[in-house]
Amino acid sequence: MSMKTAFSSPRVRLIAVISTALLAVASLSIPTVAQGAGVFKVATSAAVTTWDPVQSFSTEAFYMTNIYEPLLWKNPDGVTPEYSPALATSWSSSKDGKTWTFKLRAGATFHDGSPVNSAAVKASFDSSKKIGGAGFIWDPLKSVETPSDDTVVLNLSYAAPMDLIASSTYGAYIVNPKALAAVAADSKYYESGKDGGSGPYTISSYKAGSSVVLSAYGKHWATDKPDYSTIDISIVPDGITAQQMMTSGQVDWSTNIPLTSMATLKKNKKYSVIQYKSPFNYVGYFNTLRAPLNNPVVRQALSMALNYRDIAAIGGQGYATQARGPVPAGIYPYDPAIPQYSMARAKAKTMLDRAGVKNLTIKITYASENSAEARFVPLIKDAFAAIGVTAEVQGILFNQQWAAAKKDPANAQDLFIVKYWPTYSDAGVDNLWSLFHSSAKPFFNLSYWKNAAYDKLVDDAIELSGSDKAAAQKLYSQAMMMLYTEAPGLYLYDEAQVSVVPKKFSIPKYNINYPFSAFFAGVKLS
Amino acid sequence: MRILWNRLSSALLVLCAASFITFTLARVIPSDPALAYIGPKATAADSAKLRITLGLDQPIPIQYFKYVWQTLHGNWGYSLSTKQPVLQEIIDRLPATLELIFFAMSFAVIFGVAMGVYAAKYRGRLQDSVIRILAIAGVSMPAFWLGLLLQMLFAGRLAWFPATGQFDIDLKYDNPITKVTGFPIFDSIITGNFAATLNGLHHMVLPALTLSAYSFGLLSRMARANLLEVMSQDYIKVARAYGLSERLVFFKLALRNALPPIVTVTGLSTAYLITGTFFVEQVYNWPGIGSFAVNSLLSIDYPAIMGITLLAAVGYLVINFIVDLIHAKLDPRVWMR
Repeated sequence: MSMKTAFSSPRVRLIAVISTALLAVASLSIPTVAQGAGVFKVATSAAVTTWDPVQSFSTEAFYMTNIYEPLLWKNPDGVTPEYSPALATSWSSSKDGKTWTFKLRAGATFHDGSPVNSAAVKASFDSSKKIGGAGFIWDPLKSVETPSDDTVVLNLSYAAPMDLIASSTYGAYIVNPKALAAVAADSKYYESGKDGGSGPYTISSYKAGSSVVLSAYGKHWATDKPDYSTIDISIVPDGITAQQMMTSGQVDWSTNIPLTSMATLKKNKKYSVIQYKSPFNYVGYFNTLRAPLNNPVVRQALSMALNYRDIAAIGGQGYATQARGPVPAGIYPYDPAIPQYSMARAKAKTMLDRAGVKNLTIKITYASENSAEARFVPLIKDAFAAIGVTAEVQGILFNQQWAAAKKDPANAQDLFIVKYWPTYSDAGVDNLWSLFHSSAKPFFNLSYWKNAAYDKLVDDAIELSGSDKAAAQKLYSQAMMMLYTEAPGLYLYDEAQVSVVPKKFSIPKYNINYPFSAFFAGVKLS
Repeated sequence: MRILWNRLSSALLVLCAASFITFTLARVIPSDPALAYIGPKATAADSAKLRITLGLDQPIPIQYFKYVWQTLHGNWGYSLSTKQPVLQEIIDRLPATLELIFFAMSFAVIFGVAMGVYAAKYRGRLQDSVIRILAIAGVSMPAFWLGLLLQMLFAGRLAWFPATGQFDIDLKYDNPITKVTGFPIFDSIITGNFAATLNGLHHMVLPALTLSAYSFGLLSRMARANLLEVMSQDYIKVARAYGLSERLVFFKLALRNALPPIVTVTGLSTAYLITGTFFVEQVYNWPGIGSFAVNSLLSIDYPAIMGITLLAAVGYLVINFIVDLIHAKLDPRVWMR
C-alpha cells in the first residue's frame, strides 16, 4: 500500500481517532467507587502549623477543637447560658474575682483511656503559661491547686474572667500529662499527627499539607455519639477548587468558599448560605511617629476621606459592616454607641489645609495574600486622592509587611492595613491592648501610638473585667471613644462569616468564639 | 569519557549556582521565617528563641555552608509550614507529580508528533490549518487558565471527569491501594486493584491534558517543520527518483532524520513540565510537588523552596543528560563534535 493510500481518507482517520478517544472517555467516566460509609468529607484551607495543643496558635484550631477540650465552651453571642460545660461541669468564683473553682466531669478520659483529673488540668495550664503559643492568656494565674482529683482551684494575682479564659480557642486545652512529658523529651512528638486529647475525635492519619483523617473516640463522655465515625478532611488552599469539590460531590462540605461565589450558590437549591457575625476586623494603622501623621487632626481628616460603605461592600463583597473601632460587633467589649467616621471630603480638605498639609504622599502596605485587602485598598488610595493626598500602595506577604513594620518604625509605612481578631473572646485584653496600648518595642501596636491616658483606661478595665464586667465595659468604652477622637487608626469594617451548608446535612452553627473551628460531632444527615 | 566529565562538572556548577542564588534570595527578602514557623500571633520572645534554634541568628555565609553540608548528608531541613523534613515531603509527593508528567508527556509526544507528521503530509490544507490552530492554542494558553476552562466544562457542566484530586476520597475506604513502589496508578495495576486504576486514570485526564498542552503544541509544530525541511532535502528526492515507496521514504528516511531535534525539544519540554506542574497541580488540587511548591512560595517556606529548586535543577540536568545520550544514539556525530 502506498503512502498516498495510507492517508487517502483523512476525515475517516480523524473520526476514528476522535471516536476512540470518546470511547475511552466514556469508559473511564463510569463511576467505579462506592460511597464510603460513615465518612463525612470536608475541604478546608485550614493548615496545620503544629499539632502541639500547647503551642497551637493558628488555623489548626479547625481540628483541635474536635480532638481537645477546654474546661468550658463559650456559646455564641446572645445565647444563654453564656457557657456550656466541657471538662468542667460546674464553676464558681470568689467575690473579688481572684479565686476560681472548677469541678471536673466524672468519667472523662483521654484517648489512651487515662482519666482527665485535676493533675492533668494543672499540668496543662502550667505548661501553657510557661511555653504556650497563647501562654499570655494565663498572665493573671498565680497558682493552681488540686485539692481532689475532680477539683481545681485557680488563684489569680489580679481579678480576671477565668471562665472566659478557660474557654479560649488557644492555650486552654486540657492535655494528657503523658503527652506533655513526651513532647518535653522530644519536641517533634506531635508532628506525625499524635494527640493527647479527650475530645470526640482522635487523629487517625495526617498527611502534611494534604489531608487529615479524624476517627470518633468511642469512650468520649458525651451521651450523644457522633453520626460520622470518620471525618476525612482535604486541605485545599484555593477557594474555587474547594467550591468545585463540593458542588461536584467530591466532598460533602467546603469551608473556604470565596465570597464572590455566594451569589451563585444562593440560587442553588442544594445549599443554604448563612451569614454570621465574625471576630474579624479590618484596621489601618497610621504611623503616628512621623509628621504630619503625628497630628490627630490630619488623621481625622484622612479618616473622613473614606467611603466606608463602598469599602465594606467591595472588601467584604456585601458581607461586611463598617466597624465601630477595633472591637468587632459580637465580641466583648463592643459598644454600639461608639461613633463612626463618615465620608466628608470637603471638611477633610479644609482640616488638612488648616493643619498646613500640602502635597502629602503616604505609603500604604497590605497583605497581598488577603484578597479582600487587595480589593478595597485601591478605594482608600482613590479616597485620599480626592482630598489631595497621594498614596503609594504596596501589596506584600503579611510576614514581610509585619517584619518591615517592626524593624524600623520611623522609616516604615505610613498606613498599615491589617485583618485582626482576638485570641479569645475578649477584645479588650486583645484588640484594644495589643493594637493600641503603648509598647517599648512594636509588636502589634503598629501605629506606634503612645497615650498614657488610654493605657490607664485599658489596664484598669482589664483588671476590673474579672470582678465587675459592667464597670470594665465603661472604661473600655471611654478608651474606644479616645481611639475615635485621636484616630491612630482607620476603622474599616467588621467582616461577616458566610457559611455555605449543604441542605443534605445539619451542621452546627458557626460560633464566633471559635472562628476557625468546625464541630464535627454535631454533624448529622438532615 | 571527557564529554561525560565535562557534562558532570558543568552540572555541578549549575547546582552550586542554583542553590546559592536561591539561598541568598530567601534570606535577603524582608520576612521572618521564624514567624512563618510558629504562626502570626506568636510572641516576640518565642520568635527570637526560634531564630536561634533554626540558626537564623548566624551570618548568611555560615548559614549557607551549613545548608550545603547538611543537604549533602540528606538533611534538607524542615518545612516551615508543614514541620516535616523537606526531603521526606518531596519523596512523598514526587510519585504523584512524576505520574502526572508521564501521562502528560506521553499524550504530548504521541499526539503532538503524530499531528505534526499529519500536518506535514497535508501541508496547506484544512487538516494542517486545524492542527496549527490547536498547536498555537496549546503553546499560548496559560496552563492555569486552560485548567480552569477544562474544569468548568468537563467537570462542572458535563460532569464527565472529577474536578480535582488524584483519586476519589472514598477510594481509600472502599478500594485502598497497596503501596509497593509509591507510584499509585502503577501500584494499583501491579496489585490488580483495577477499580483504583480506572479511578486514577479518570482523575488523570484533565490535569494531564492541561499539562500537556504546551508540549503538544511545541512538538506538533516542531515535527511538522522538521519533516517539511527534511522532505525537501536532495537525498529524499534521490530516494523517490530511485522508486522507493512513499511509506519507506517518509517513515524510514525522512522521519528518522527529523527526529533528533524533536527528541531535544521533548527533553526540554519534560524538564519544563516540572515547573509547569506548579500551576496545574494548584488548579486540580493534585498532591504533588507543584502544589507543595506554590504553597511554599506563598508562605516563604524557604527550606521547602530551596529543596524544590534543587530538585528542579537536578531534574533539568538529568533530563538534559538523557537527551544528550539519546541524541547521540540517533546521531553519532554528536560524540565526534
